[in-house]
Amino acid sequence: MATVQLNNVSKSYGKSRTVHDISLTIEDKEFMVMVGPSGCGKSTTLRMIAGLEDITSGQLVIDGRDVTDAPPQKRDIAMVFQSYALYPHMTAYRNMAFGLMKTTRLTKAEIDARIGKAAEILHITDLLDRRPKELSGGERQRVAIGRALVRQPKVFLFDEPLSNLDAKLRNRMRAELKRLHTELGLTVIYVTHDQIEAMTLGTRVAMMSKGRLQQVGAPMDIYMKPANTFVATFIGSPEMGLIPCRSSAGKIGHNAFVQELTLGQDLPESIIIGVRPEEMTIRREGMARGRVERTELIGAEALVEVALGEQLVTIRSPVSDAPNIGDEVGVDFDLSRMRVFDAASGHAIFPRL
Amino acid sequence: MSQNLGRIQRKEMLLAYALLLPSLVFLAAFTYWPIVRSIWFSLNDVLLGDPDIFWLGAENYLRLLNDRLFWKVLGNTAFYTFTSVPLSIAAALLLAVALDSKLRGMAFYRSAFFYPVMIPSVAAGMVWVFLYAPGYGPINEALTGLGLPRLDWLYDSKWALPAIVIMSIWKYSGYFMLILLAALKLVPSDLYEAARLDGVSAFDRLVHITIPMISPTLYFVIIIGTLHSYQIFDYVYVMTQGGPADSTNVLTFYIYQNGFQYQDIGYASALANALLIFVLGLIGLVSLTLGRRVHYLGER
Amino acid sequence: MALDTPLSPEMTAAPPVARRSNWRRALKGQWLHVIMLPLSLLWLCPLIWIAVTSLKTSAEVFDPAAGFFPATPKFSNYPSTLSVAPFGKYLVNSIIVTSSILAGQLVTITLAAYAFARLNFPGKNLLFTLFLLQVMFPIYAIFLTNFVTLREMGLVNTIPAMIVPFVASGYGTFMLRQSFRQVPSELSDAARLDGCNHLEILWHVYLPLVKPTLLAFAIISVVTHWNDYMWPLLVTNSEAIRTLPIGLGLLAKADSGADWPRLMAGTTIVVSPLLILFVIFQRRFIDSFMHTGVK
Repeated sequence: MATVQLNNVSKSYGKSRTVHDISLTIEDKEFMVMVGPSGCGKSTTLRMIAGLEDITSGQLVIDGRDVTDAPPQKRDIAMVFQSYALYPHMTAYRNMAFGLMKTTRLTKAEIDARIGKAAEILHITDLLDRRPKELSGGERQRVAIGRALVRQPKVFLFDEPLSNLDAKLRNRMRAELKRLHTELGLTVIYVTHDQIEAMTLGTRVAMMSKGRLQQVGAPMDIYMKPANTFVATFIGSPEMGLIPCRSSAGKIGHNAFVQELTLGQDLPESIIIGVRPEEMTIRREGMARGRVERTELIGAEALVEVALGEQLVTIRSPVSDAPNIGDEVGVDFDLSRMRVFDAASGHAIFPRL
Repeated sequence: MSQNLGRIQRKEMLLAYALLLPSLVFLAAFTYWPIVRSIWFSLNDVLLGDPDIFWLGAENYLRLLNDRLFWKVLGNTAFYTFTSVPLSIAAALLLAVALDSKLRGMAFYRSAFFYPVMIPSVAAGMVWVFLYAPGYGPINEALTGLGLPRLDWLYDSKWALPAIVIMSIWKYSGYFMLILLAALKLVPSDLYEAARLDGVSAFDRLVHITIPMISPTLYFVIIIGTLHSYQIFDYVYVMTQGGPADSTNVLTFYIYQNGFQYQDIGYASALANALLIFVLGLIGLVSLTLGRRVHYLGER
Repeated sequence: MALDTPLSPEMTAAPPVARRSNWRRALKGQWLHVIMLPLSLLWLCPLIWIAVTSLKTSAEVFDPAAGFFPATPKFSNYPSTLSVAPFGKYLVNSIIVTSSILAGQLVTITLAAYAFARLNFPGKNLLFTLFLLQVMFPIYAIFLTNFVTLREMGLVNTIPAMIVPFVASGYGTFMLRQSFRQVPSELSDAARLDGCNHLEILWHVYLPLVKPTLLAFAIISVVTHWNDYMWPLLVTNSEAIRTLPIGLGLLAKADSGADWPRLMAGTTIVVSPLLILFVIFQRRFIDSFMHTGVK
């Protein structure tokens, strides 16, 4: 297992540039999740790491070796595809053996042993003689992972591997992937558009948008301290409330606020404050006043949408305390966790609090 | 780094050309070079096996324009194409519509109409010579049985070409029927059900639903049929040798006569180019008149 | 296939009105047989006549009063046909020519179709048009020049002369390209990661997945070239390399139409190989020809 280093990696198709200067290091045994909306360049980046796309400029180093121009099979990587990409005309066993026969000089017995072991780990020993058509979605997924495992690569690449599964199976496979990662000590680069997958799977998360890296960090760090408003709203559901405010001399003002808030810090004139639904509480009185626009009971709690001036924010509330639509309510903020962004650039203002 | 991109693209390009090379060699040698060459031949006096070639310019073409037999042959060719293609496609369409239902014995019917495609043209021609025989042929026997006058068929300059047209319908409509059947199966059945609820008659359903819905395939079949119609050479060669009185002489056979029997490659090449223009003109005509009206159901 | 499915049980248990319409529909189906059955027999007539005539005596053929069937089947027409024309030799030649054309075509169309389906290169559209145009050109407009070319190459009256003009197939390339484009691109990505280059991807992934298309093309190609008459007629003039259709044509010329039983015995011999294959693999043949029109 090994580290993967991307140094200013870019991708252009003709004149349009789809990936801009990505620099990122994936440590040994790390589970790095690249997340972002579709078209953000995450899949292209993964395909460049795999060697399926040329790297227009920049450098890719795997385990200390420059593999920028190396063909895929010389990079010591294995990949699991969104559609699994199992060869329809081969049995599960042949699907797993095919790459080994092409890229290694293992004997038949050695190949057999590797496949046997991988099949055991993935609980697919009984399915090895079947063709993909005879397997369920989850089983195909396991075979696809098995095909990557038997290669014993330095790095595993996953391209949205769970998006073709139904919700229940997706949860199960997520746990399974987590288990494989810790038990086998794999280095993984995992691409998804699903922020829940990113939060639950990654040891670190690389957030991308419009072909640029927005923020890299541990899931909770990104959740708590998003680097900009894009990251702030992409991660977390329901999304973070963003309230544009004016500030002067350390005081933050907004029409809905009962009185100006004090964060004790020098701030630009127009700022945006960010508060997550669980960081606000509905009170009779409160720091701000708003009108309840919508409530949604989701079992354990209620999601209450409150209009603060022109700004809608969602607030988590105990079901018993949920107000009625149209109520005028007060809202309290957890000031210790309140984020501040520069309204012009969208960037978080550090250090804060 | 952009060099690297260029290198990989160049590699793919070279591979592509290498993969196309075998096909291109044969296409060039036996499809495109012959066309160029036959234009050159047609401008010269070329005799088969004679190394001496004389420049004639347009003389072969002038000769062609003044060749009364050429115009007759062209007329025969047009007659054959404009009767055999529409008639066999019409027959194919009716057969296909009839078979596109829950009819028992479907497999039998399909095979019964399709098997002539499997029969070599020379064998088909020969059997029909027998069937058409004036003295003892089964067709004349059948006509007598029905109280109709007997015909001399292939020996009658009025009936020889129509006789070949009838044989062509037998030979090819099964093939067109199969292609149309495949298209009919893709027509959504709720369209027919809706029409039936509206009280639309079977004939109107054929004209207003079936034909527009399968028009791309119909169009394709017309092109294929036109291209197939040049196989009439085989039948003329086997059945009539162009006779009687050149009543079945068609362009392809006339090219053969000039090139191989009279060994006049130059004039035969001029005729071959006329054929090429005739065919491409025909396909152009078909695509201009019908191609525009075709009701495309989006790209499949 | 769906056409052969029997009525479902719910339909038979339908209320009276619906049942009557089913009954009417069934009657309509039956009624079609009244047209279709005689028509299909009419279509089969030539084949029946070939078989029946091949067992008659010459006298029976020319005598309108002799009846439809021979008095006693004269099977000796077959040995006597085989004694005047070496149909065994013709059969071997036909097999050699047809299978060589097919083998050559499979190689050229596979390679070209892959290039058109999956590679990018300058001039792609122009070249593809050149391939498609070949379908439109009638060989009758170029057979003369091709004959001259082969004559100059010294190939006239050889087996290769019957093969080389057909090795490239614009139609086959087009058909296969369409199939190749249906193969998901992730499969070729997976194969690249498994260490395959383009040719290996073609061999291990694409070809196994387009077997039905290859088979359909093979059937159409074999039927076309097995039955081809004009071209072998022009480029052969010795017994040793003639194919079955040419042999039959010569037999007809030699008999000048007089000996119909022997000629029909020869015809039976010539049409049998394909018709027998057709009867055995009916579904495959039908499917192959059926889907030439639907992309």
